[in-house]
Amino acid sequence: MKGKKKTMPKNDVHEEEAPLPSDKVPSPSVSDSDSDYEDSSADDDESSVSLDSQSESEFEEGSPENGRSGDLEAEGTESSVDEDIVNGEGSGNESSDLHQPGAESDSSEDEVAPRNTIGDVPLKWYEDEPHIGYDIKGKKIKKKEKQDKLDSFLANVDDSKSWRKIYDEYNDEVVELTKDEIKLVRRLLKNQAPHSDFDPYPDYVDWYKWEDAKHPLSNAPEPKRRFIPSKWEAKKVVQYVRAIRKGTITFDKPKEEDGPYLLWGDDSGSTEKSNHLAYIPAPKQKLPGHDESYNPPLEYIPTQEEINSYQLMFEEDRPKFIPKRFTSMRSIPSYENAMKESFERCLDLYLCPRVRKKRLNIDPESLKPKLPSRKELKPYPITCYIEYKGHEDAVTSISIEASGQWMASGSSDGTVRVWEVETGRCLRRWEVGEAVSCVSWNPLPDMHILAVSAGQDVLLLNTGLGDEELQNQIKELLWIDSSTASDDSGDKAPSVSWLKDDKHMGLRLRHFKTVTAVEWHRKGDYFSTVMPTGESRAVLIHQLSKKLTQKLPFKLHGLAVRSTFHPSRSIFFVCTKKNVRVYDLLKTKVIKKLDTGLREASSIAVHPGGDNLIVGSKEGKMCWFDMDLSSKPYKILKCHPKDINNVIFHRTYPLFASCSDDCTAYVFHGMVYSDLNQNPLIVPLEILRGHTSSNGRGILDCKFHPRQPWLFTAGADKLIKLYCH
Amino acid sequence: MVKHYRPPGKKKEGNAAKFVIRSQALKQLQISLPLFRKLCILKGVTPREPKKKFKGTHQTYYHVKDISFLHHEPLVEIHRAIRVHERKIKKAEAKKNHERANRLREKTPKPKIDRIIRQRYPRFVDALGELDDCLTMVHLFAALPATESKKIEVECVHKCRRLAHEWQAFISRTHKLRKTFVSVKGIYYQAEVEGQMITWLTPHSLQQVVSDDVDIVTMLNFLQLYEPLLSFVNFRLYHSINLKYPPILDPRLEALAADLYALSRYVSSNTGLSVVNSEASQVESEHLETKQREAESGNETSELRLAQLQHQLPSNEPGALMHLVEETGEDDDDLDTKECKNLFKNVKFFLSREVPRESLLFVIPAFGGIVSWEGEGAPFGESDQSITHQIVDREAQGHRFLSRDYVQPQWVFDCVNARMILPTDNYLVGRIPPPHLSPFINYDEEGAYIPDYAKTIKNLQAAARKEVLPLPGVGNEDLEDPQNLLVEGIIGRAEANEAAQRKQKMMILEQQYHDDLKKELKGVTYTSAGSKETSGAVQTGESATNVEENPGDDMGKIMMSRKKRKLLEAMQISNKRKQAQIDLIKHRKKKIDEAQS
Repeated sequence: MKGKKKTMPKNDVHEEEAPLPSDKVPSPSVSDSDSDYEDSSADDDESSVSLDSQSESEFEEGSPENGRSGDLEAEGTESSVDEDIVNGEGSGNESSDLHQPGAESDSSEDEVAPRNTIGDVPLKWYEDEPHIGYDIKGKKIKKKEKQDKLDSFLANVDDSKSWRKIYDEYNDEVVELTKDEIKLVRRLLKNQAPHSDFDPYPDYVDWYKWEDAKHPLSNAPEPKRRFIPSKWEAKKVVQYVRAIRKGTITFDKPKEEDGPYLLWGDDSGSTEKSNHLAYIPAPKQKLPGHDESYNPPLEYIPTQEEINSYQLMFEEDRPKFIPKRFTSMRSIPSYENAMKESFERCLDLYLCPRVRKKRLNIDPESLKPKLPSRKELKPYPITCYIEYKGHEDAVTSISIEASGQWMASGSSDGTVRVWEVETGRCLRRWEVGEAVSCVSWNPLPDMHILAVSAGQDVLLLNTGLGDEELQNQIKELLWIDSSTASDDSGDKAPSVSWLKDDKHMGLRLRHFKTVTAVEWHRKGDYFSTVMPTGESRAVLIHQLSKKLTQKLPFKLHGLAVRSTFHPSRSIFFVCTKKNVRVYDLLKTKVIKKLDTGLREASSIAVHPGGDNLIVGSKEGKMCWFDMDLSSKPYKILKCHPKDINNVIFHRTYPLFASCSDDCTAYVFHGMVYSDLNQNPLIVPLEILRGHTSSNGRGILDCKFHPRQPWLFTAGADKLIKLYCH
Repeated sequence: MVKHYRPPGKKKEGNAAKFVIRSQALKQLQISLPLFRKLCILKGVTPREPKKKFKGTHQTYYHVKDISFLHHEPLVEIHRAIRVHERKIKKAEAKKNHERANRLREKTPKPKIDRIIRQRYPRFVDALGELDDCLTMVHLFAALPATESKKIEVECVHKCRRLAHEWQAFISRTHKLRKTFVSVKGIYYQAEVEGQMITWLTPHSLQQVVSDDVDIVTMLNFLQLYEPLLSFVNFRLYHSINLKYPPILDPRLEALAADLYALSRYVSSNTGLSVVNSEASQVESEHLETKQREAESGNETSELRLAQLQHQLPSNEPGALMHLVEETGEDDDDLDTKECKNLFKNVKFFLSREVPRESLLFVIPAFGGIVSWEGEGAPFGESDQSITHQIVDREAQGHRFLSRDYVQPQWVFDCVNARMILPTDNYLVGRIPPPHLSPFINYDEEGAYIPDYAKTIKNLQAAARKEVLPLPGVGNEDLEDPQNLLVEGIIGRAEANEAAQRKQKMMILEQQYHDDLKKELKGVTYTSAGSKETSGAVQTGESATNVEENPGDDMGKIMMSRKKRKLLEAMQISNKRKQAQIDLIKHRKKKIDEAQS
């Protein structure tokens, strides 16, 4: 009712509107009165309503027609009157009962009044008493006799209605529930209203009669202002108009879609990039081949085994795409990696640095230097012609006699042998006793003297070749007075003692350290020996005719490896581990120092012209020095995978060779031109194979035949081989 | 150069002065990494490779100039403004001020790409040269489903589709398509526009899946560049054939397509409510898709019609000179275009429902064919008697017309690649078609493997040109002279071939004789070996010389510098790998042949 009153002031404003949506009107008092269950709960309400209605009825009595609001009031009272009637009935019922308290429920009215009158006290108090309480007249009510449990159970079993019986402790009696009561209990268990005919959502009944009302809610005449244009609004409009004219109010421009236009005119040839950085366009994606076809040729489809074998491959080696075949276009599925590949392309486009890589689209053969054909450079050794067998251990060194008829070889079994080259016959054999490290034949054709280094000794042997006269000369040369021995270096400790060797009919030069190499001077009178560990006296030069020994008058830098004489001038080369020093023996000074750049040089050979030399190293590299050109190598040839043991020039043919522990010997064409402007021509010619490795060593020495283009190789496999053209 | 003392933090020189690493660049530009990436994508800034990586090899280096250009780029400012706007919108939304939020959203500044495109591609040819990726991306997005979770908007997909169709319409209309290739990944097309070979890939017209391991934001950034680029290119191309761009389409069809698209999207978003529903919707969506495709193809054809219409217009106007110029322009078309234009000149196609319609509708008109399809808006129906070829991909056929060939779609693509109308025998329905070969492979390369079908096609082509194919081993000098060919005719050529063969035999004999001589000589003298070397090039001598040369090859290697030697080795390895691949294929082929015989 209050809500209705609130709407009152609104009513006169919106007259033409519908009075009020009826839903808003609260109706607490309206309920169907015929459900007796409701009554108990509604009791409080009823009382208040009745109060209200009383007051209102009074009000009504006081002023039957009460102005404008009277209509509404009337309406309100009408409803309340209705309710009053209902209440009246209810109260009539109630009043018929004896002075029962209002809180007592209806249900209790139907039953017989409880015979016990102890009230709401704990029943525990009467537990031990013989009575349960007192009746209305104050008499004790006796307890019933307790039934035996068994009996009661049996009674229960017998009684079909036992399930609806409840023991009432208060009254000490058994109550049997009626059907209606059980229904009620059931409904309560289901959380429903106890009475089935109670409707929790009744339809709203609008008690006010809207039609046929004699008067409108407001009888006031329409005010004038409703018909006059608003001044205030006009003012506001003027304000806006002025603001717009002034430009203080701006409107959002209609959005213009900037579509494409002619961005590139015709004269775009002249324009160029504004920034002067090199722009590299992204490389185009690789075009697909046959294998990406939906229906590739059958040979492009890998077999199942091949596909399985991809699993064993490394991740990056695995093919990215496995060809598949579909018999019709309709059966092609959508490609699952389409997005991924597109995304990867995007990443490549903006995350990869772009570098212009020169792609050599050339025949790899064209990279090779233009070399003259090998056939034009013949003759050179090609095939193995003779094998010299006989040594019982690795042949460490060989040497060819100047005429080319004889060859001497030294082995680590302690023997020196002389062979006839063309037949392979072993002519002589000496037992030296120690492993031979180097043999060297006197370069003079008449002097058949062999220098052999074994251990700390150097032996000069008379080979017994040649006629009587020569033999006499040699014998004379090799004769030494035992008294004159070791007096040549008076003040210093004797580095070498010249001794007579009776066993081999020769001379024995006893050194203080192990000798590794012996090299003759071209005139056959001098020879040099190298003792790598000899420090300042590592390289010695001996004179055979005078039986003299000289120390090299220079300081050596590094470990001496080899030494050799210049083929025509009095120049001496000493090869140390890192570099080669060239001495002028007459002027006694260093002419040149050649920087090899090698880790460890092992051998040296001088071109017969004298201006070029090659150095072999233990890392398998060979350096060609052109001494007129520079002190750096003219060419470095990396051909052997293992140590180079010896390098050698041919005396007459433009050939040179290297032999190595990898059991191969390389033969090169090395032409040196007399024209200084022309660089030496080096052409690799042949790889000579045939030796076998033993104890990790291959070919230990190689020598050219002095006249023919033949190469002798001495292997660690006890063999000497002769390669002919 | 003398190094002077430089106080710390002053000038730098060398690589350190020229390059900055990415984090330095970010600091300098004061922008976030995602924005930096976006800018790099739009501006085409790529990392550089300095000679010396002074901050470590794991860093990315940018050129200082690149970064300073980015620094002065208005895009940076615009993106800052966008960020401010976003913040305002967020605030307005939080205060429930939706009106303001909407207004702000509308007023958010948009970056302008046209200037950047102009900067990146100063000439039109530059843009065409780098259009490959653009086209591939746009075609891919045109096939993607619009998903809110992946930030792919409907408008975006729609625009991509429109642009792709516009491009295809131009290519098809001007007969610029050169090669097509149906691969597992999609269909490759190659077109020649203004001398630029443009290759792009369109996915098969099936539902694409957007996987989660793809960063869609990056791709959308690229798309932000590619969309306007393609539209500008299209504009220019349409302008070049005197057409208005954007083309005005049949509004009914367009509206239909748009509506259908929206509907299909709605359907797709509502799937998964219940089994029945989803099933129903699937059916529905399929139906919709087909319809949609029809509508699109309708779009395309309408475009074409429009193009033709507008093409005819200028002749009625007073400026007939322009028309003349254009006419001559058309006549100027290179041989290729003419050939392409006339390939399907007298052929009329009809497409069945199951064939990839979108692709064929693009390809067939591009080569001068007339095409129709089953469905609404088709220019002529299946019962048209003038149809010469019906393209079918399924065996079950209702009514068969005897007047036409029923071929598989591969026939069209193979014809296009071979530039001739191939016999349809192998491509008839129900047969397994011959292998579909890639047109991008160059068989001229030495040692390349040529599949059988490529050989047969070559023979057919030669037959079409009324030529006898040259026998292998004969010099091409005769072939190169076209007059000779014409005069002598086939018989003359055959004779010439015989003569050549005889000559070859003679040379072989001569070579043998020389060899014998050499063997004799070997033992005695070594002088005359050089003079015979020159004749060693004759084929029969090859095997013998090869054996001898092989060690010589090694020898040559010794003389090379280390750099060249390594290069040679690398080349040899790669060649060997290639050869191994070819050998594998040959081996498989041999096995297959054995199994068949």
